[in-house]
Amino acid sequence: MFHWLEKNPFFFAVGVFLVIAFAGLIEILPNFAEASRPVVGLKPYTVLELAGKEVYKKDNCIACHSQLIRPFKSETDRYGQYSLSGEYAYDRPFLWGSKRTGPDLHRVGNYRSTDWHENHMWDPKSVVPQSIMPAYKHMFTNLADIDTAYAEALTVKKVFNTPYDAPNGTKLGTLDEGRAGALEEAKAIAADMKNQEVKDAVAAGKIPEIVALIAYLNRLK
Amino acid sequence: MNGLMIKALAFAAVLIIATVAVVNTMHIDLNDPVNMITMFGAVAIAFITTGVAVKYINQMKTDKSTGELVGERWDGIGEYRNELPSGWAFSFLGTIVWALWYFLAGYPLNAYSQIGEYNEETKAYNTKFEAAHANADAATLIAMGESVFLVQCAPCHGETGDGMSGKAQNFVNRISKDQVLAVIKNGSNQLGYAMGAMPPMLAQGADAETIATYVAGGMQGTAPAAFATCVACHGADGKGNNGTAPNIAAYDNTLISKVLVNGKKGAIGAMPSFKTRLTPVQEKAVAAYIQTIKG
Amino acid sequence: MQSNAALEYDYTVAKLFTYTAILFGIIGMTVGTLIAAQLAFPELNYLIGEYGTFSRLRPLHTDVVIYGFMLSGIWATFYYVGQRVLKVSMAESKFLMFLGKFHFGLYFVGALAVVVSLLLGITQSKEYAEFEWPFDIVIVVIWVTWGLSIFGLIGIRREKSLYISLWYYIAAFLGVAMLYLFNNMAVPTYFASGGIGSILHSVSMYSGTNDALVQWWFGHNAVAFVFTVAIIAQIYYFLPKESGQAIYSYKLSLLSFWGLMFVYLWAGSHHLVWSTVPDWMQTMGTVFSVVLILPSWGSAINMLLTMKGEWNQLTENPLIKLMVLASTFYMLSTIEGPIQSIKSVNAIAHFTDWIPGHVHDGVLGWVGFMTMAALFHMAPRMFKKEIYSKKLIDIQFWVQTTGIVLYFTSMWIAGITQGMMWRAVDEYGNLMYSFIDTVAVLHPYYTIRAVAGLLYLVGFFIFAYNMVRTMTSAKKITEEPANRTPMAA
Ligand code: HEC
Ligand code: HEC
Ligand code: HEC
Ligand code: HEM
Ligand code: HEM
Ligand SMILES: [Ca+2]
Ligand SMILES: [Ca+2]
Ligand SMILES: [Cu+2]
Repeated sequence: MFHWLEKNPFFFAVGVFLVIAFAGLIEILPNFAEASRPVVGLKPYTVLELAGKEVYKKDNCIACHSQLIRPFKSETDRYGQYSLSGEYAYDRPFLWGSKRTGPDLHRVGNYRSTDWHENHMWDPKSVVPQSIMPAYKHMFTNLADIDTAYAEALTVKKVFNTPYDAPNGTKLGTLDEGRAGALEEAKAIAADMKNQEVKDAVAAGKIPEIVALIAYLNRLK
Repeated sequence: MNGLMIKALAFAAVLIIATVAVVNTMHIDLNDPVNMITMFGAVAIAFITTGVAVKYINQMKTDKSTGELVGERWDGIGEYRNELPSGWAFSFLGTIVWALWYFLAGYPLNAYSQIGEYNEETKAYNTKFEAAHANADAATLIAMGESVFLVQCAPCHGETGDGMSGKAQNFVNRISKDQVLAVIKNGSNQLGYAMGAMPPMLAQGADAETIATYVAGGMQGTAPAAFATCVACHGADGKGNNGTAPNIAAYDNTLISKVLVNGKKGAIGAMPSFKTRLTPVQEKAVAAYIQTIKG
Repeated sequence: MQSNAALEYDYTVAKLFTYTAILFGIIGMTVGTLIAAQLAFPELNYLIGEYGTFSRLRPLHTDVVIYGFMLSGIWATFYYVGQRVLKVSMAESKFLMFLGKFHFGLYFVGALAVVVSLLLGITQSKEYAEFEWPFDIVIVVIWVTWGLSIFGLIGIRREKSLYISLWYYIAAFLGVAMLYLFNNMAVPTYFASGGIGSILHSVSMYSGTNDALVQWWFGHNAVAFVFTVAIIAQIYYFLPKESGQAIYSYKLSLLSFWGLMFVYLWAGSHHLVWSTVPDWMQTMGTVFSVVLILPSWGSAINMLLTMKGEWNQLTENPLIKLMVLASTFYMLSTIEGPIQSIKSVNAIAHFTDWIPGHVHDGVLGWVGFMTMAALFHMAPRMFKKEIYSKKLIDIQFWVQTTGIVLYFTSMWIAGITQGMMWRAVDEYGNLMYSFIDTVAVLHPYYTIRAVAGLLYLVGFFIFAYNMVRTMTSAKKITEEPANRTPMAA
């Protein structure tokens, strides 16, 4: 039979395709609906948090950081409660990472603060002298892309029924409301920061990347 | 055994010995089952690869290629009709049998749960350590507290607890002048003391300055007159009237545990709450340790 | 049967891809060496502002070596081997020539665009699938073009039955096509939101755990079909051709091929062990990974047995040496990976440097050596010149082999140490090490790895130099050599 296939390339290709295709179904499908259900109380990301997530993606923090706490005592002691599937229901894409050059960040919002992140992102060695993490000073001047974050929120609301604007949920509203909400949130964060340029920028209605990133990191709990 | 094989196996052995040696310098417990299985896996990778590869490479020295060729040739390349190498075929079957075992008995399909395993592991830990240290003596608490401190607190407070040039609380001193001034100006309402909140603006201008200098200086010598405002709540010695208000003269267990539960936001910055992140014993231990930090 | 001599194969496209393999190899590995050095000496993060941090450059490294160096190598060899084992020349069909050139042209433009986009931080943040949707569409077109080339060439073949290498090229084509499409499914937010924000941005169709499953079903099998299947395609042609030996066993080829096809796809969840995917899916990833050892080793053993009795070729012909060592490194990574898949071992290995260690056993020892050996074999036949210097190949071989050994031993020790330190508890049951302790101990190993990378890179420059001199100033040959590649001392 195999020799026959080798003489009939079309059927050979079909054969290969069938053999490789069905494993995927069994590997992915059975749990599909279950895994997309959020845990109780999980709120969609705010526009500012989404903009921060974009910064996290843009500067590719997953190169060094995971967001997945495995169920080992050593990890729950270090990072907190092990991760649950439903906590990631609004994560598109998932950001588990595959390498921990730096520590896990899935619950970093529980044990770090705005001012610490500010010091750390400006110069990691200033708070962790042996750190090998790069400084991200450009985030203090580059502005976050709030409109794209809003577009993302609106897209997931429309296409995937992510529950924005639900009672007690995350508010999205119109583009202008989205921008205003992000600025409001940014002001609260800037108030806890020390960098004067960042404070001035936010006061002037601009949102530097670092503010959005910190909103996102603080949300990781 | 020929020279190539000896060299290859020696290389594998050196790699394994180096690994074990390095791991040992880090005080790793190789009796931990996970560590043990991992080392065993490393040994298997190193020796099976070098052993098998060199076995076949040796055949390039000793053997001759033989067999019946298939009819076709592709760009001059022929193929023999040789049988499967039996070692390969049997190993293949072996891995399939192992796979069935792993799937049905090792991590049984319907019975195994990683969360269940975690719960058991955690319980075992807790019985082992919590009980052993429930009534730990002072020296043990301090040693234990240091290890908790280095993992959980040092990223902000620095390895020596000096607050890293003003980025977090400096444990060498009780409190800085700026912090006291800020509290006098803004009041404070976050730590959960019985007395509740401290109102803002209890002192102003030069009074505030002298109070702050006195408190930050460790409350040495005679208290300035203006300090009388504070005595009502914090006591003449600043020790906080038996835990109804914070001790502003020195760290004590009550203060540290209140900060750990409630977190704190002040003149320096914000510290998150550590509620549920530390066990009661760890909390006691870290408090004991902080009180030993001196300049 | 036609006589071989009558047929002039057309290597235009193979040559073009040869150039890009060299070019992207240099770029990708230079960046690799830089990021390796950055982990040992973080000051190196600030050479080119925000574009030069480890995190921006890491995907540039992975994608340029995979989709630049490796794919160019795969396509260079395909456009060479395909014609020969099917016994047709591309020159016989204007359409195929056009497709081939179009394939290359679009690929080259696409590759440059992708490099720029990664530097700018335009990314989906999914490993090996970073490119945003417009680039993905271009990639799909490139891939379909390759498919048309494969089946077009097969359509006009003179050799009735497909040689083993073609089985693997076809599988690589189909596998990647399917995986890439599903993993990159995303909704462009600009259109869905009615024209707000960046036009390049998209959101993944899948979320959380589902996204993870799709990603690693892709990620693992991208490794399977690009790093493995397409490289096996090469060794099945170049080793017997260079040595003049017949393949040891058709049956072993057959079983290894279909075994690999069947088993590989199931193993993806070994990237998700101890994660939030259901226990049974994780276990499945583990068991299929271990079963995968034998179909993988089957090809390697078949290659080593093909060289039975040919010790003199091993010692005298550096290309044979490269390919035999490539098979050996292939064996190393395909037993290392399965063992790292075992749950207890993965608890230590996952997230540590042992994984990049495993990766580079495969990519440096297996992919890198095989690709370079293949290009060396092809060069005299494409350019009608002998290899410029055999001595340089020997030097390159030793420099790079030293590099690989240093790379994998350092990362092996670093990873195991780090994984165990994360778990270690002190006598009080508290974590023994703060995270930064586990970073600080790695400094010597990161330094060794940077040196290892530099050695491999130097070797690659020697390779590039040798190739360029072969193309430009080596001695002409008049007749195509049947087997052993001619080279000047
Ligand atoms: C080269 C690797 C590397 C990159 C890239 C990197 N980090 Fe880190 N990160 C580290 C290391 C190592 C540490 C631990 C030492 C320290 O705290 O600086 C760390 C620590 C952290 C911490 C503190 C977590 C804790 O538990 O102490 C945060 C938060 C963080 N990084 C955020 C980020 C963000 C956000 C990015 C991307 C913009 C990023 N990192 C990129 C290596 C990296
Ligand atoms: C009405 C009672 C009251 C008076 C009067 C008072 N305090 Fe307090 N003080 C408190 C309480 C209660 C807290 C804890 C508040 C909290 O929970 O945050 C506190 C907190 C503080 C703290 C912060 C301690 C820490 O570790 O963060 C400082 C410093 C302090 N007081 C100094 C003073 C000084 C100086 C004065 C005099 C000018 C003063 N207090 C007067 C009740 C008082
Ligand atoms: C994210 C950073 C961070 C971490 C982690 C952290 N702290 Fe703090 N801590 C702070 C900052 C900032 C302050 C100063 C707050 C202020 O007064 O402005 C502080 C203050 C304190 C104080 C003094 C509070 C007072 O009222 O004077 C104590 C005690 C303390 N921390 C204990 C700990 C212990 C114990 C741990 C570890 C279990 C810890 N901290 C971890 C940031 C941190
Ligand atoms: C039998 C074959 C193989 C198996 C079962 C296997 C298994 C694994 C495992 C378990 C991981 C680590 C997952 C984790 O814990 O993060 C891994 C990672 C990886 N392997 Fe393999 N491996 C195999 C062969 C190969 C080969 C031959 C190559 C390359 C030539 C390769 C390249 C990679 C890469 C690139 C990664 C990194 C993925 C990431 O980014 O996390 N593997 N492999
Ligand atoms: C000069 C040679 C090279 C050096 C110095 C080098 C260095 C590196 C470094 C430092 C990393 C990041 C590891 C980490 O995050 O801890 C990496 C990752 C990677 N490299 Fe290389 N590399 C080299 C060549 C190659 C080649 C030739 C390939 C492929 C053909 C390759 C494929 C990869 C892949 C797939 C990863 C991702 C691994 C993972 O995510 O686990 N590298 N490399
Ligand atoms: Ca990875
Ligand atoms: Ca993509
Ligand atoms: Cu894999």
